[in-house]
Amino acid sequence: MTYLLEGKHLNKTFQEKAKTTVALSDVNFYLNKGEVLGVVGESGSGKSTLLKAIAGMLKLDQGALFYNGTEYTGQKPRQTGKFLQMIFQDAKSSFDPRMIMERSIMESGRGAKDPERVKELVRLVGLEEELLQRKPAALSGGQCQRMAIARAFYSNAEIILCDEMTSALDVSSQARVLELLQNLKKEGRLSAVFVSHDIALVSMLCDRIMVMKDGVCVEQGVTPQVIGNPQDPYTRILLESAERQNIK
Amino acid sequence: MRKKKRARTKIIIVSVLVVLLLLSTILAGVIAPHDPSEPCSSAIRLAPCAEYPLGTDNLGRCVFSRVLYGGRTTIAATFLLVLISFAVGTIIGILCGYYGGFVDKLLMRVADVLLAFPQMVIAIAVAGILNGGMTGAMIALGITMWVSFARLARSHTFTLKNEAYIQAAVFAGKSDLYIILFHIFPNLLAPVLTQALTTIGTTMIGLSGLSFLGLGVVPPTPEWGSMIAEARAYIQIAPWAILGPAIATILTIILFNYLGDAVMDYREI
Amino acid sequence: MQDKILEIKDLQIAYDEELAVKRASLFVERGEVLCIVGESGSGKSTVIKAITGNKQVKVKGGQILFEGEDLVPMKRKERQKLLGTRIGLIQQNPAGAFNPIRKFNVQFKETLKSHSLPFILEKLNQLFVTLGLKNTTGILKSRPYEMSGGMNQRIAIAAAMQMDPELLLCDEITSALDVTTAISVTDELLRLKNERGTTIILVTHNLGIAANIADRIAIMSKGEVIEFDTAERVLHDPQQEYTKSLLRDVPKLMV
Repeated sequence: MTYLLEGKHLNKTFQEKAKTTVALSDVNFYLNKGEVLGVVGESGSGKSTLLKAIAGMLKLDQGALFYNGTEYTGQKPRQTGKFLQMIFQDAKSSFDPRMIMERSIMESGRGAKDPERVKELVRLVGLEEELLQRKPAALSGGQCQRMAIARAFYSNAEIILCDEMTSALDVSSQARVLELLQNLKKEGRLSAVFVSHDIALVSMLCDRIMVMKDGVCVEQGVTPQVIGNPQDPYTRILLESAERQNIK
Repeated sequence: MRKKKRARTKIIIVSVLVVLLLLSTILAGVIAPHDPSEPCSSAIRLAPCAEYPLGTDNLGRCVFSRVLYGGRTTIAATFLLVLISFAVGTIIGILCGYYGGFVDKLLMRVADVLLAFPQMVIAIAVAGILNGGMTGAMIALGITMWVSFARLARSHTFTLKNEAYIQAAVFAGKSDLYIILFHIFPNLLAPVLTQALTTIGTTMIGLSGLSFLGLGVVPPTPEWGSMIAEARAYIQIAPWAILGPAIATILTIILFNYLGDAVMDYREI
Repeated sequence: MQDKILEIKDLQIAYDEELAVKRASLFVERGEVLCIVGESGSGKSTVIKAITGNKQVKVKGGQILFEGEDLVPMKRKERQKLLGTRIGLIQQNPAGAFNPIRKFNVQFKETLKSHSLPFILEKLNQLFVTLGLKNTTGILKSRPYEMSGGMNQRIAIAAAMQMDPELLLCDEITSALDVTTAISVTDELLRLKNERGTTIILVTHNLGIAANIADRIAIMSKGEVIEFDTAERVLHDPQQEYTKSLLRDVPKLMV
């Protein structure tokens, strides 16, 4: 069986002077079409490195990446951008401060410009068309992240990689963005890898969860299993702190 | 908001003064009461009077007219020099910052070496070798001037190229040239232009300084620096001949520095 | 008998001309934790700025009573004396509180010196233990840039607490941290409250964090305190629609 996206035995170490950091240690993962895979871990767990590796933003020491069964290891973002798009943590700076949103979004398309489709997508992510004529500074963080989703869809990429995309947002804007992603998933329009430090957030959106610690994937499984019956002690620690934030 | 407004008014006022200054030199032909290089044997070293507002020099030439025409030379040369250094420096800076690697290292070491000497010392040496003329003086100053622009552009490019929107453009398959032209250049233009404004003053000092040393314009072309140099000889007899160009130089430099500072303040608010 | 260490009455605060806080009334009793919750732009951080006398903001009306004394008309010098020794402040970005390349050692001593207080290692050590920081001397020898965000945040708390303020103001200190780290930082704040009786005002956008430590909660929206009550009441019997939506928006574990 071929997966939409697959990574096998991914390894990456960073060498900084005398210090060696293992960012990825034999990480394996797969993603099916229409599925959202959650990657949870604290800062320094290697979750962002994993995302960058998938996107071709850094060179792996070892391992292979596949898109629809075809290997694409070593491809740079200019090529991987054809089938995947990245949504960054810092919503505002993912748009050129001097460009209006419409132009920024259209830039992500590789074919002819289609302003009608931009409008359609902006409505899809729950924003008003008028906002397209604004620059990022005139939008809120939540609105920018919606625009980023619209941009990812406009590019026709099949896979969206989300790097802590809601952690810079207010709780309420985060909830709205999450709702949007949940709806898109329900409609079968979303295949994504969702990286976050918040296991509660991940549990609300993702079909499967990977828990990472110090570059190792300590636990991987379908959401109910990881949340309901965690195997690894570290997963339990994460769940405990998430539990503490629940309002009884 | 109020602060911003105040800063803006400041810029407008200074800009108006700068424009007036530029106009007066551009329209020197209309304003100047006399031919700047026409000696008059009957009006040697006259004190300021109705006919000669700033007096006359050793050869009986009208100091006021010479200051106006001299401003043309000085300001035009300064602008041209800043513009060229700005263009060259920015291009080199962007390329170094964007691509990094060996060329970046090489060019930045060259820049370090150039910065290791006092700018004026290099300029005097080079102007001396090139042997005179305004072009020679400009080249002499330009050799070190591009460096400040290149460093600034490079450091901005360095930060900009890691911005998420640049990454997004890469994922969209945009070429390096496209990214540089449409994302990086527009976003670093403002700070580098501000830098250009603030260097106008020093450049003017540099050019006038070279002319003062006889390494700039060739007499009898009026130029502030060379006028000061000439008039120095008879400063006790006719101090006005030196006061005219000296005050003009000081005012112009203050004005441009002030404009640069005002723009910088405005951008920082 | 109520012992209000800080009380804010009908406070109006402006940046330049526009009012950022239109109407804010709240109080905190000695030894309590008050959480001010709201979205960005709700004015919650502005209230903290007004209490500390930050120059960016101007109080246009109302009172800030610290132990019954109004801070608003107070002279700058007197106010600065209060600040640090009796009122401590920790900001979202701990890096802003420290010089990144100087040893903590020097920075701690300097702060004390500027308030002419002695440096007592034993006392600081105790504080570090309360905050869950092991190896006091080791930390004092290192520099801020060598530390993680969570560590720096704890050390920033220690720096604010070393002068033993009665009131500790925390402005979004958990927002940039991982969930696990954020929870442990709030735990440490709780320990400060329990062991030293410190009164704490914590500003956050996450009601989940507030639920963890607050005795009282003030909900702010668009420059107004729209709900202010005990944590119990706000969390379990919210009166305002907005509070209810904030409660809904806290991510919940889905099993």
